[in-house]
Amino acid sequence: MIIKTVDECSFFPTMTIKGGTSQACAACKYQRRRCIKDCDLAPHFPADQPKMFQNAHRLYGVSNIMKILRQTHPEQKEEAMRSIIYESNMRAKFPVTGCMGIINQLNFQLQQALEELRYVRTHLAICRDQCQYQYNSPSCPSSQLQLGIQTNDHEALQLYQQQYQYHQYNSAAGSSAGGGGMSLMANEYLANGINGVYIDENDSVVKPLRVQQFYYGNNNVDAAVAVQHNLMTPQGFPIQQEMDVPHDYDDIPFDTIADDRQSYIESKEACESSAESAFKGTATQSIEHVTQNDLKSAAACFSLTS
Amino acid sequence: MASSSSYSSSSCNSPCAACKFLRRKCMPDCVFAPYFPPEEPHKFANVHKIFGASNVSKLLNEVLPHQREDAVNSLAYEAEARMKDPVYGCVGAISVLQRQVIRLQKELDATNADLLRYAGDSCNRGTGRGPHHVGQNSGSYNFSSPYDPYGDHRNQRSSGQGNM
Repeated sequence: MIIKTVDECSFFPTMTIKGGTSQACAACKYQRRRCIKDCDLAPHFPADQPKMFQNAHRLYGVSNIMKILRQTHPEQKEEAMRSIIYESNMRAKFPVTGCMGIINQLNFQLQQALEELRYVRTHLAICRDQCQYQYNSPSCPSSQLQLGIQTNDHEALQLYQQQYQYHQYNSAAGSSAGGGGMSLMANEYLANGINGVYIDENDSVVKPLRVQQFYYGNNNVDAAVAVQHNLMTPQGFPIQQEMDVPHDYDDIPFDTIADDRQSYIESKEACESSAESAFKGTATQSIEHVTQNDLKSAAACFSLTS
Repeated sequence: MASSSSYSSSSCNSPCAACKFLRRKCMPDCVFAPYFPPEEPHKFANVHKIFGASNVSKLLNEVLPHQREDAVNSLAYEAEARMKDPVYGCVGAISVLQRQVIRLQKELDATNADLLRYAGDSCNRGTGRGPHHVGQNSGSYNFSSPYDPYGDHRNQRSSGQGNM
């Protein structure tokens, strides 16, 4: 290591250069001042990253940074500087929202994750009960249920879910409306959003989940937005529109081709007869009635067994 | 009685919080006036203490006029966070939220795996059909955030998918 003392320099008679390799830190370079040995900012602003200090200087300023460093414990200075640098970089990248925009986006993601988790757990509970139900009731309902599923798979499952979720999901669903100041990137959620369904706490209709953006403050896309769930009526769910949740099975309209009894759902014989009636009549018409009756019987058997 | 110079901006408008704090005349074209009303003195006090009035003024001049209100609100938020926590400021909240999102993602993955298992079992048992996926995009959220404050790679689940 060669140490030279430049005495002949008239401007800096006492300047010392260590091996010709020491460099002023980015902070001192930016301010065009001499970087002393104990420069407080030198450890945090290396000379090869001038942009980092420029961002920090732009947002905080040197004096404010030094003020913050003086307030913090020596062991926490590094953490404080890292947070300042991070905040400054985010402000440089997002001049309008800065870190608050990131927080809003994370809050939004958290809300969506909670919603999805809640939904998946509900669906999981339904599947578990369905499996258990099929195990426990090998007679009457299973064959009809399977028949119903095989003939109209999606609708049967959704009706089952509707009934189950109405009882299980009253307090859970619908309470996940986004709070104020949500993510400004809600568009991404709209692109990747759930196309699934859940039950609103106020009614039993299965509705798809949608997100409606609100602008926070003024009409600025970059502003933090408030996200709310905008529930729309479903498409392709004819059964829900035709049938209410069967709290009182006496109110279920009775309509089959060949069975004239009114309260067949309340007995196993009724279930079996409905199964028999499923094979009577024309193909299309019988399939529709079979589906509805089988679902009714399945629901009734489920409620009776549960 | 001579009128106070601080009220010369308008005979009916009081000076904004910024000019009140800085004890200067609030001009009609004061850049702070629309965003720092006199009813919220703490808002400007925090922002000035953390960032400085000149820095805020420069930042406001760099954004479009219709974006300034949001910029001021975000600065006020960050200033207040820094006042409460001088070490981490609002970055602490970001770290906490990222950890929560990752934890939820793991839980979601596990629950989805259970769901698929049950759906597969019921498929094999009775119907002979494939598993039902009611939620089409379950578990497909991109929870990775490239804005990890401390470069912790465990916060990044997938790369190359910036959210912002």
